[in-house]
Amino acid sequence: MSSATIINNSRLGGRFFRLSLRWKCGGVLPGQFVMLRVSNSLDPFLRRPFGIYDFSGDVLDILYKVVGKGTGMLSTLAPGTDVDILGPLGNGFPPAGKGKNPIMVAGGIGIAPFYLFAGEVKEGKPSLFYGAKGRDEVALLKDFKSRGLKLNIRVSTEDGSIGRKGLVTDILKERLGEDSVVYACGPAGMLKEVSNIARKRGVKCYVSLERAMACGIGVCLGCAVKTRKHPPASAYRMVCSDGPVFNGEEIDWGCF
Amino acid sequence: MGVFLKPDTSVKLGRLELKNPVMTASGTFGYALEFEPYMDVERLGAVVLKGLSLKPRDGNPPPRSCETPCGMLNSIGLQNVGVEAFIKEKLPRLKRLKTRVVANIFGETIIEYAEVARRLDSADGVDAVEVNISCPNVKKGGLSFGSDPSGAAKVVTAVRKATKLHVMTKLSPNVTDIRVMVRAVEDAGTDSISLINTIPGMAIDVERRRAVLSTVTGGLSGPAIRPIAVRMVWEAAKAATVPIVGIGGIVNARDALEFIMAGATAVEIGTANFLDPASAIAVVHGIEEYMRKNGVRTIKEITGAVN
Repeated sequence: MSSATIINNSRLGGRFFRLSLRWKCGGVLPGQFVMLRVSNSLDPFLRRPFGIYDFSGDVLDILYKVVGKGTGMLSTLAPGTDVDILGPLGNGFPPAGKGKNPIMVAGGIGIAPFYLFAGEVKEGKPSLFYGAKGRDEVALLKDFKSRGLKLNIRVSTEDGSIGRKGLVTDILKERLGEDSVVYACGPAGMLKEVSNIARKRGVKCYVSLERAMACGIGVCLGCAVKTRKHPPASAYRMVCSDGPVFNGEEIDWGCF
Repeated sequence: MGVFLKPDTSVKLGRLELKNPVMTASGTFGYALEFEPYMDVERLGAVVLKGLSLKPRDGNPPPRSCETPCGMLNSIGLQNVGVEAFIKEKLPRLKRLKTRVVANIFGETIIEYAEVARRLDSADGVDAVEVNISCPNVKKGGLSFGSDPSGAAKVVTAVRKATKLHVMTKLSPNVTDIRVMVRAVEDAGTDSISLINTIPGMAIDVERRRAVLSTVTGGLSGPAIRPIAVRMVWEAAKAATVPIVGIGGIVNARDALEFIMAGATAVEIGTANFLDPASAIAVVHGIEEYMRKNGVRTIKEITGAVN
């Protein structure tokens, strides 16, 4: 744990915010996360995990959605405020490998870890399929478009306000090739569906999972997910220390 | 003016000497090695490890934990690698640590408790066993022994026979009169008593109209339970002849000092390890600072100050 200073904390649209922190660390892997203490008081009690959006030397960015008390308080913190940070934590996305085309499938705020990842894809033709509820969430795509990445971006919205009307998994079903490797982050229902689609086509699929967690370092054993692995090892894996990225086929989706 | 002296923070749990009264609580500190990147583990009085059972345990289905006001509920269900894997894989690395190592033990039956203790007794590197008869999150064992004095006494008697190691018994707050439990485990031969384990609790997701935890109820920990814990430690200390180890929502040195003044010889830091992995070290420093500021030379001077 160390201290980071807020450089910027601004609303991107709707309940979505971008937080920039001055913070030094040895380096981060795309897909890793940090845990922030949004207050020095005991309420909210626990740290909050956030996927890393961007990192460049000594500035770390996260995207977050205000969903409750913790993120609500975070959204009121002004530049210059110091926050306690623990990380980088977790494993990150493995590379797609030679001759493979990475497909990133993101739902809502689940787009966050793909910014760093998209920037590091060196091989193949990367795509980003983004599913949003509506216009507010599509604001999160702005950086991806302005960065000049060689990225095939497809958008769906549930209300049809932008892009194709429907679910992002519809896009995936149409465009998933056998030479793809899928990377997904978003709501559990979406991840399950993405994982199933990939499995049926015999395509490797990595999912970045989210769970309420207390410690972030694999000791409280609170953020367990069930896997299809069986004894002698426990079927449970910890999102914080074994993940957050898992092979989709390993996950027993019944536990969500 | 007196010469400046470093306060003597050492304490004695029976014959077991600790360099300071700060220990970690089982289930919040892994096997201690996980904390090496964040702190000098050897600065602690003792490390108490994740509960060990005879066979590996899967633990409970998720969701296993949730935040509550000034605390959290958990229902991990004692997921652990089992005592044999612990001895083979973790203990060799723990052995070299210059701090006391306390293995927390658990069984579904009295025979299992004794067998885990026996195996640890013959393995080199463990200084004490903490007997968990107070876990609220398992169907068999745990609290089913710890909620009545005769069950508790049977487990402690069996463990006592199985090991020469220091035996510490961890009590549940979920009893009518803690003093009855204290006497029962003392008579059965425990060397010290730690309390309190978590308090049974429950949270409901009103949108989904169901319990947040998969097991419906769980154990409440954190500062929310501290006043209850301080009161029970105070009661236990007055009734006990063996040393008491105070546990319950300690996040800083002042909290730890409350337990010491209530009569605890040592304390365990639990949920605070999740807020900040270096919490326990901050408590060690804070106690030293308090002693310096207030001219306290030994912990004993303030132990049980409130009686």
